[in-house]
Amino acid sequence: MRSRRTGDFSYSLAIGLLAAIGFLILVGPVVIVLLTSFTEGRSIRFPPSGLSTQWYQLLFDATSSRQIHRAALNSLQVAGATMIMATVLGTLASVALARRSGKWARALDTFFMWPMILPMLAFGLAALMYFTFLGLRPSLELIMIGHTIVVIPFVLRTTSASMSQLEPALLESSASLGASWFYTFRRVTLPMIAPGIIAGGFLAFVASLDNVPVSLFLTGPRSDMLPIRMWGMMESTLDVRVAAVSGVLIASVLVLMLVLERLVGLTRRLRD
Amino acid sequence: MLGDILPNKPSSKGGQVPTRSADPSISVRGHTVDLDAVTHRYGTLTAVADVSLTVRAGEIVALLGPSGCGKTTLLRLVAGFLRQSAGSVRIDGKPIDALPANQRNVGIVFQNYALFPHMTVADNIAYGLQAHGRPRDDVRKTVERFLEVVRLGEFRDRLPRQLSGGQQQRVALARALAVEPTVLLLDEPFSALDKSLRLDMQIEIKRLQRQFGLTAILVTHDQDEAMSIADRIAVMNQGRVEQFDTPINVYDRPATLFVTGFIGTTNLLRGKTLHSSNGTTTIALDAGVQLAIASERHFAPGTPILLSARPEQLHLYGEASADRWPVRRRFALPIGPNTMHDLETRDGATLKIVEQRIGAIVDATGEAWCGLRTEARPSLFESSSQP
Repeated sequence: MRSRRTGDFSYSLAIGLLAAIGFLILVGPVVIVLLTSFTEGRSIRFPPSGLSTQWYQLLFDATSSRQIHRAALNSLQVAGATMIMATVLGTLASVALARRSGKWARALDTFFMWPMILPMLAFGLAALMYFTFLGLRPSLELIMIGHTIVVIPFVLRTTSASMSQLEPALLESSASLGASWFYTFRRVTLPMIAPGIIAGGFLAFVASLDNVPVSLFLTGPRSDMLPIRMWGMMESTLDVRVAAVSGVLIASVLVLMLVLERLVGLTRRLRD
Repeated sequence: MLGDILPNKPSSKGGQVPTRSADPSISVRGHTVDLDAVTHRYGTLTAVADVSLTVRAGEIVALLGPSGCGKTTLLRLVAGFLRQSAGSVRIDGKPIDALPANQRNVGIVFQNYALFPHMTVADNIAYGLQAHGRPRDDVRKTVERFLEVVRLGEFRDRLPRQLSGGQQQRVALARALAVEPTVLLLDEPFSALDKSLRLDMQIEIKRLQRQFGLTAILVTHDQDEAMSIADRIAVMNQGRVEQFDTPINVYDRPATLFVTGFIGTTNLLRGKTLHSSNGTTTIALDAGVQLAIASERHFAPGTPILLSARPEQLHLYGEASADRWPVRRRFALPIGPNTMHDLETRDGATLKIVEQRIGAIVDATGEAWCGLRTEARPSLFESSSQP
């Protein structure tokens, strides 16, 4: 009796300790970068020397942070376009492949998931060589295409999970009531899998926003991307604005996540 | 649709259209369904084997059988969710084989109702009408009418998950009926309901079917359900129809040994025929008796047979007689007003007999004699036809 209680206790202790370590590793960096961004000092150092919002003020200053703003705008544009393209293509692919068990459907399914496994640096280099071969020059549009390819698996996964939970009898009922395929898709399929599509779109947006490896190869002189600019600032000047940018990114993603959690149960979608 | 339902030719007097019921706009006349040598294979497995049957206009036919007998496959073939490997399905004599499910105008109610979970009750009922592109005003009126038909007016704005099982089923019925289908298909419609609710819904479906003169095909594995609701029952086994007849005939005149075993309980006694003439076959049972049985079938002398007798067709006696055979009573169970006796014959067969217990307490064990009741008509089968 006594030994079992001791066993239970040490078991809980071990699990609790592991959880605490995991939590520290996950949350620690976020807390540190957030605190650092509010430093009064002139360098990225933890713990910060005093608190102020000077770096945020500098970051939002239109003239002195013009390059960061332009990179951020580029990144948002690319992320937005990538999200739309990946969502449309990924949804179409998952709807077409849902419940098909044929050899070709399986092969295509695997094929679309490839970008998730393929090392992104290799893909970035390949894309650059391919586009150059086609006579195209690095541009925002090429980055959008590159990003779309590597983030499609996110949309495909969440949408396919929703599709597999869609009861076939609903589609059959709709057909027996006289609805065409497209009418069924618009009024039954789409509303039922919308949470999966939205979750996938969110993931695609975030994945594009902080993509470095693909952007690195496809960035041209006029298409500076935010993560790459941040890396450049870190390398050259240890600019504290990098921490401030991180702070803004973390805060916006957090807000978006909370909104989506309320709307579509985001974390539940990602677990499926 | 309405043009098909109502004779539209003006009559000789004043162009008045004859009507079928008080509310002609929702009356649907039944249509016939013909299955003609329908076969369906999944790969090498034959799910439906050469099934031919005719469902008359305004009739409820139950497809009854154990799971895997092909009854659901048959229903899905009629609905158009599957395309048969061979044979033809006709509605009102017209083949519908080439039509996809959404052009067959066949209503279906699924076991789990398959209501659209993101739509209200009213939207669910409106769905088919909207898919047909009916004018908005027409849709609204029809939805109102069908909400009334299934008595769910006050639930119009609820979502399916806020309804009980019985209410959900009524929505599913209203949704299917609103588009005026030629045939209503019911896939195990009562199996998800509580026992107490089942009878209510069976009455409800019967009521709707009468009201609209609907032709309906019901798939079920529950013989009581089939017996109570269907006009005729097609008993299916291994993809074939073993018997297609009225509930009473299926019970009293089973066509095959499978039917006799699947519908109700029965006692099987081994023996062989002695001679057969003028609709009477004399048999010698291994249990030790000779009996003359009325039978339409002719058996050659010496054919090994099985006598199938329902528990209520047998009677227990205290003394021997020429048409009784000895049994050993093993135990007796009181079942309501009846007593069920469990008996063993001399050749080791087990018999179940149900007798009314009119006050007397019957001795539960010991020797007794068993015989057929005078009006009983048991069935005879060649024992090689045993499954």
